[in-house]
Amino acid sequence: MTAQSVRRVLVLAVSALLPVTAHAASFDWQKYKGQTIEVLVDNNPIGQIIAKNADAFEKLTGITLKVDIFTEQQMRQRLVTVLDANSDQIDVYMTLPSREGEQFSKAGWYTDLTPMTSDAGPSYNFKGLSPALLKAATIDGKLTSIPMNIEGPVLYYRQDILKKCDVAVPATMADLEVAAQKIKACDPSITPFVSRGLRDALPYTYSVFFHNMGGQYIVNGKSGLCSPQGLKALKLYGELLKNYGPLGVVNYSFYQISSLYRDGRAAMAFESSNELSDMMQGGTRLGDTGIALLPPGPGGSHPTTIGWGLAMSPYSTHKGAAWYLIQWATSPEIQAQNEVAGIAAPRAAIAKDPAVQAWLAAEPVRTQWQHAISALATSGNSDVGYPIVDNPESRQYIGDAVDNVILGSQTPADACSAADGSLNTLIAKDGG
Amino acid sequence: MQLSASSRHRGALALLSMPAVLFTAMMVVFPILYTIWLSFRTAPLGHATQFVGLANYSQLAHAPQFWNSIKVSLTLYVISLALQLTGGTYLAVLLFQAKRMPAILRSVLISPFMVPPVVVGMMFLVILDPSLGAANWVLSLFGIGPSAWLASPEWVIPTVALIDTWQWMPFVALIVLGGLQSLPPSVYEAAKIDGAPSRLVFWRITLPLLLPTLATAAILRTVDLLRFFDIIYVTTQGGPLNASDTLNIYGFHIGFELFQFGYASALAMTLTAMVFGVVLALNRLRKAVDW
Repeated sequence: MTAQSVRRVLVLAVSALLPVTAHAASFDWQKYKGQTIEVLVDNNPIGQIIAKNADAFEKLTGITLKVDIFTEQQMRQRLVTVLDANSDQIDVYMTLPSREGEQFSKAGWYTDLTPMTSDAGPSYNFKGLSPALLKAATIDGKLTSIPMNIEGPVLYYRQDILKKCDVAVPATMADLEVAAQKIKACDPSITPFVSRGLRDALPYTYSVFFHNMGGQYIVNGKSGLCSPQGLKALKLYGELLKNYGPLGVVNYSFYQISSLYRDGRAAMAFESSNELSDMMQGGTRLGDTGIALLPPGPGGSHPTTIGWGLAMSPYSTHKGAAWYLIQWATSPEIQAQNEVAGIAAPRAAIAKDPAVQAWLAAEPVRTQWQHAISALATSGNSDVGYPIVDNPESRQYIGDAVDNVILGSQTPADACSAADGSLNTLIAKDGG
Repeated sequence: MQLSASSRHRGALALLSMPAVLFTAMMVVFPILYTIWLSFRTAPLGHATQFVGLANYSQLAHAPQFWNSIKVSLTLYVISLALQLTGGTYLAVLLFQAKRMPAILRSVLISPFMVPPVVVGMMFLVILDPSLGAANWVLSLFGIGPSAWLASPEWVIPTVALIDTWQWMPFVALIVLGGLQSLPPSVYEAAKIDGAPSRLVFWRITLPLLLPTLATAAILRTVDLLRFFDIIYVTTQGGPLNASDTLNIYGFHIGFELFQFGYASALAMTLTAMVFGVVLALNRLRKAVDW
């Protein structure tokens, strides 16, 4: 390369960097100094990160941050009460787009964040956020929230038990039942397979079976729960838990599943990727656990991928300061901290962060977990229940159908048909 | 015109009690009136409410889930009340006859109803867990197979009734014990002179004389039992398959999970009417058996 060429390259490089450095220098974190904002968060590890780091945010911005922290249901109740009264009391809140996205959007309770994304700090990198989650958070063309984490159900399995029982890691959905059957015969003291059975909680895990089997919740404006693929999924999920799940599985959600697995009483647990730290608590399961996505079915591999998001109230009177909180809480720096606490970041680049790399390398199971998360980010589906305004109610009908099969009170066809009637009414109410 | 001293006194009293009256009106009367008003309206999230007449009441009359919740509420009420009244009376008689350490025994007995229901729920959730709980482990020591307890549609109501009885039977026992201590000794002296056996004394004298006390205990427990919520919310959330979905749990689910406030208000008013109706009937019964 000639000296002239080198100069040209240097000039080009400097000119390319100029806007960035100029922007970095011009970005003023103290722009809203003196203002006070209130954030409503769920008392889960994702929300707790905001509460724990509130001081750091206040120091960086000079904004006073009031953190209201509640359990999920109570948080939602408080939020609805405040927003329904058009109150400006809450500026920023945590939201699950897959659950209440359509419902809150129809109520007009989201501020469109699209225009604000250009007013971000130099390291923010909005485009680095998971495209799948950004798509799920975009409703009627409006960006309703910014993803805080990425999660989805993954298969935790005991490598030692599978080896002892001469069972290969299931490669297809059909293999799951075969594996469970072999484990039951080999060691009757172990629960071969566990997943969610609690009515309102199970659509999160059931949806992966449904989609992998080739099902679609809405087909031509009608419920697809009872399609041939849907019936196969219902039969497989219901019978796996009925025949190979723990007694009382219809009351099982993440808490019971994590306890059972951590306690060494389950060979395979299909539960949220968020449960990694709970399942590995105490370290007993670190050495014998493997993690994978649910194996593909006839419809392919469509893992459920969701994430909590941070949204802004339309009634906030401090929208500028509120946006500063959102961009700070969803920044690569905070999300890298979350990752090493077992909260997967909705940014692919975080996995390359040196601190994250070191954390992943410390235990092989963490690397498998990270691979599963990467797959969730690329091939995930955010439909947990029906993508309609009444999504929470649709989950209840799916849950009823599955529980009827688990308890053996109805055949899959009858259970499904009963649910379909109610689901079609909901879809019609939503405008098809 | 000059006001008399007594009129001035009454005026002053009215003025002084005004803050308390206003506070009560705000905290009690307003929410009730607001719920009644809301029960005739539909309240879509983020939009103004609209008058819909009796549509919410008509909807609940046609909802199988509503009738299921009435059935669940009444079944739970009858089983729990029967267990608590019979068990409480038995316990009270034992305490009444206890000669050693009666004060310590009473302190131990009242401890269950001092525990918050949420803690009771969490405690039994762990004990009755079909896979990890102590209850099935104890059964296994006697060669009895495991039970699903709270996860069984057939057993969930008896199990919840037993949990509630564990907590509230001592409360009924204390009320009945108070009744026993106030019974006239002369009646027992007369029975003793006549040589009446103790079983006959209990059935023919003690129990009839205790009826007003039992009716009072029944009224107090009725209000709680028909509004049954906390233990179910912690343990089953109305499941499995709506088998423990009491009217209060159903109303909560509709109101605070599905946010259908108009319909939930109609459910709340129905529950209130039901509680009032049963309490009024029991109150009449109490007056009828008073002596």
